[in-house]
Amino acid sequence: MEAMVKNVSSTVELLAVATHSDAVTRWDEETLSRAFHWTIYCEHIHARFHYNPVIRKLLERQLEMTNESLSIVFPNYTALCFTDLSRCQNLLLDGLLRNTHLPISVMKILFDKPKHLSNNGSSFEDAKGICSSIIETKSACKVLGNVNRPSALCPDAEVQAELFMEKLDLVLKQNSDNYGANQFLDSVLRGCDKDEEHFCAIIGSSLQTESTMDPKCMVILDWLKQKHNFLEGMCHSLPLSLLADMAEKHLGFRDMYSDVLKKWAKEIEYDINNREWTPVSKNHSVSFQNLTQHFVSLCKASISLRNFLETELQALKFSEGDFDVRGLSIWEDLLKYIFKEMARS
Amino acid sequence: MSDTVSLQTPDLSEAAVTVQELQRWLDTVKTWDQTDNMETHKDICRHLRTLRDFLHKLQAYINCVKNTTEVMRKLPLLGQFLGRACWVPHITADATSRALLFHCLWGMYSEEPENALEAKANQWVRKILCQLTTDEEDTAQTLMKHLGVPPAEYHLRVLRKTLARLEEHAEKTCTITCDLNRSCPCDDVQATSEACIPLVTCPEAASLIGALLQRPFTSVKAPLSEDFIHAVDCAYSCKLLLLEEPAVISLWWHSVSSLEEATLTLMEQPKACAQHCSMFLVVNDIFRCALKQMEGNYSLKHLIKTFTSCLYRELSMQEQRSVPLKAYFPQAPACVLLPLLTQPSEMPEEAWRNHLNWLSGSLRRLVEEEEDRDGANGAVSLVFEAWFLLIGCSHWVDVALQLLASSKPTDCDPLLWLLTFYHHPTNRGHHRDQLLVVVREAWLHVHCLFTAVGAPPPGDRYHILAALLSPQPQLPSPAPLSILQLLVSFAVFSPLPLSGSTEILLTVVERSGLTDEAACVLSSLEIRLSAHGLLPRITALRQALAPNT
Repeated sequence: MEAMVKNVSSTVELLAVATHSDAVTRWDEETLSRAFHWTIYCEHIHARFHYNPVIRKLLERQLEMTNESLSIVFPNYTALCFTDLSRCQNLLLDGLLRNTHLPISVMKILFDKPKHLSNNGSSFEDAKGICSSIIETKSACKVLGNVNRPSALCPDAEVQAELFMEKLDLVLKQNSDNYGANQFLDSVLRGCDKDEEHFCAIIGSSLQTESTMDPKCMVILDWLKQKHNFLEGMCHSLPLSLLADMAEKHLGFRDMYSDVLKKWAKEIEYDINNREWTPVSKNHSVSFQNLTQHFVSLCKASISLRNFLETELQALKFSEGDFDVRGLSIWEDLLKYIFKEMARS
Repeated sequence: MSDTVSLQTPDLSEAAVTVQELQRWLDTVKTWDQTDNMETHKDICRHLRTLRDFLHKLQAYINCVKNTTEVMRKLPLLGQFLGRACWVPHITADATSRALLFHCLWGMYSEEPENALEAKANQWVRKILCQLTTDEEDTAQTLMKHLGVPPAEYHLRVLRKTLARLEEHAEKTCTITCDLNRSCPCDDVQATSEACIPLVTCPEAASLIGALLQRPFTSVKAPLSEDFIHAVDCAYSCKLLLLEEPAVISLWWHSVSSLEEATLTLMEQPKACAQHCSMFLVVNDIFRCALKQMEGNYSLKHLIKTFTSCLYRELSMQEQRSVPLKAYFPQAPACVLLPLLTQPSEMPEEAWRNHLNWLSGSLRRLVEEEEDRDGANGAVSLVFEAWFLLIGCSHWVDVALQLLASSKPTDCDPLLWLLTFYHHPTNRGHHRDQLLVVVREAWLHVHCLFTAVGAPPPGDRYHILAALLSPQPQLPSPAPLSILQLLVSFAVFSPLPLSGSTEILLTVVERSGLTDEAACVLSSLEIRLSAHGLLPRITALRQALAPNT
C-alpha cells in the first residue's frame, strides 16, 4: 500500500517535471516510454480504487501533499486531483507538447509512424507514434462522420451512453444500495452543468438501449423521480420519438412523463379573446400545439400507451365537470385534438 | 511512397517548387478547409493522390534548402499552406500524407534559430502539433472527464463504433432494382467507399474495407468508387493494408490490374527458382509438406505439376546450367529423375509406350523394395520422393491414360499400375493391390464396350461398370476417378465414331450419376489439348454431357 501511494506521488512529480522543467532536454526514447508506462500504472490505480472510499482518501491526502511541494518548486504548477489520475497519459502528453524545452528529436518520436495498437487502445505499448495514432483516430472519425447514416443515433452519442452505463455498472457493483449510484449520477449532472441538454440525451439514449429489467435502468429511473427540473428538461429537449420509445419500454418513465405533461397542461389557460389556449407564464412555457404533439406521439407509439393516456385524460376531464364545450377544460380539448389527429393518420 | 529524408544531390532546378504551384494548392486547401459538404469531400478524396505527390516534392525541396529563413523567402505562402492542410481531416487521416506533412513541418524547424523569424517558426511548429494532438471538443470531453475516460480511449471507441455501424449498413444489399435517377442504399455505399479513401492505411478500417469489397454487386450503379479501388490496391501492394483472403479475392474481382500483378508475381517464381537452386529447394519443400497433409487435394497436385513444368522449361532454356538437375531434386531417386522430367513432346509418340513401361517398372521395383524392407528406413522414403516427383510430372499419367485407350489386354498392366500408383502411392492394408484389381476389371469392361463394333453391348456390362463407378464403402475412394478417367480417355481416343463413343459414355455416366464429374474431366482435357486435332471431338463429348454449357 505504501509503495503504491509512493508510486502515484512519484508519477505526479514526473508529470510536473515533464510539463514545467527543462530536465526534459535530457529525455530520450527510453525515458519517454518509461514515463508513459508509469502513467498507465496510475490510470489502473484510479480505475481500481475509484469507488473505494478508504484507499481513495489515502491517495487524495498524498496528492494534496505532493501538490503543495510541487507548487513551491514550479510556480506555474496546477494542482491535480484524484480524478485527474484517470487521464494521466493525456496529461503527460499535453505537458510534454507544451514544454518548450522538449527536444525536437523526442517530439519526432511521438509523431513517428505508429506501431500497431494493442487491442485496448487506451494504453499504448510504446511512446513511439502516440501522437500520430491519436491524430489518425480523430481525423478518421471526422472523415467518417461526414457519411450519411440512416440510423438515428450518432456514434459519439452512442459511445458516450455506453461508457456512461459501463461506469454506472461499476458503481453498482461496488455498492449494494443506490446511494453510491445516486451520488455518481448527481456528480455527472453537476459536471455537465453548462450542457445539461447533452446529459439529457445521454440518459435518453441509455434508457432506450437497455432493457427494463436492467438494474441500471431502475437506478436511473429512481434518480429521475427526484430530479424534477432535469426531468422536465429532458421532456423539453429530447425528440418526441425517443421519449415515446422510453415511455413504451419503461413504465416508470411513462408515469413520470405523463405527470410532466399534465403539469404543463395545468400551466395553460384559455384566452377568450383569441379563442385559443396560451401558456400562463413566459418562462419554460409549452404551447398547446407542442403539448398536443407530445400526446399524439405517445398515442401513436403503442396501443397500450394510447389506452393509458386516454384513461388518464378522461378521468381528469371528468373531475372538472365533464363538459363538452371548447375552452372549459384543457383535458377535453386535448382529447378532442388527439382523436382528430389519430383519426387522420 | 517511402519517406525519403532528403535528396542526395540537390538539384534545385528540378526539385523546385514554384510559388505559383504553391499558390494553386493553397487556394485548393483553403476551399477545402472552408466548405464542408459532400462535394468538397469527394473532391478532396479525388485529389489525395496528387496532393501526396506535391507534399513529397515539397518535403524534398525544403530539405535541400539551407535554412528556414531561405525557405520562407522562396516560398512565403508555405506556412499558410501547411497550417491549413493540417486541419483537413482527410489529409491527416491518411498515413502517408500525414507523415509527409509532419516532415515538412520538421523541415521548418531550426535546431539553432538564427533570427526572430526562425524562432517564431519553431514556436509555430510546436503549437500546431500540440493543437492537433490535444485539441478537444468540449461537450464530449466534459462528460468523459467525469466518467474518468481518457480522450484517446474515447476517440478510438467512437471510431470503432462508427466503422461497425457503417459495416452493418454496407452489408445490406439493395432489394429494389436501382434506378439511376433515384437514391437507394447503393448511394450510401458509394459515399462510404469514398470516405474510406483516406483510411486505407488505418488498420481499424480494414474490416469495413473488406466488407465493402465483398458486397455483392446487385446494382446497375457502380457501387464502389474507382478511386477507392485504386487506393486499396496501392495500399495492399505496399503492404500498408492487411486484408483477409476473401477481401483480397474481391479486390482482384474489382481491379483487373491488381489481379494481373498477383498473377505475374506467381508466374515469376518458377523463373526465380530456376536461377537459384536454393530457392527452389525451399519452395519444393513447402509443396512436399503441403502434399503430405493434403494427399487427395487435386488443386494442389495441379499446382505442383504446373510449377514443376514451368521450372523445367526455364531450366531447359538456360544456356549453361551451372547447377546439375540433380541439385534441384536431391531426394528423388536418380533412376527416375530424368525420365520423369522429360516432356512427352521431347520424344516421338511411338516411344511413349516403351518409356512408360520402363518408368512403371522402375517405380514398381522401388515400391516393392521398400515394402519388402517394411517401409522406409531413415528419414527419406524413396517411394514418397518418387511419387512426389510423379505429381510434378503428371503429364506422363495423362499419356498413360491416352495409351490405355489403345492398349491390348496383354500390355495394359504397367500403365494401369502407374495410374493406380499415382492415386494411391501407399499400400496400407493392400488397398492399392485391391484397387489395381478393380481398375483392371473396369478397364476390361470399357475395352470391350468400345471394341465390340456392330453388336449391341450387353446390358450387364453397363450395369457392372456403373456399379464400379459408384462409390462403395469397401473400395478406396480414387477408384471411381481412375475408372472415370479411363472411360473418358476411351471415349476421346478410341477409333470408334463420335456417335458410338457418345452413346457409351452417356449411358454409363448417367447410370452412375457422375455426369458432372465426367464433364469436368473433359473440360480439363479440352484445356490441356487445346492445340490437338482431337479438340472438336472432346468439345462435342462435353457438350453432349452438359448441353447448356
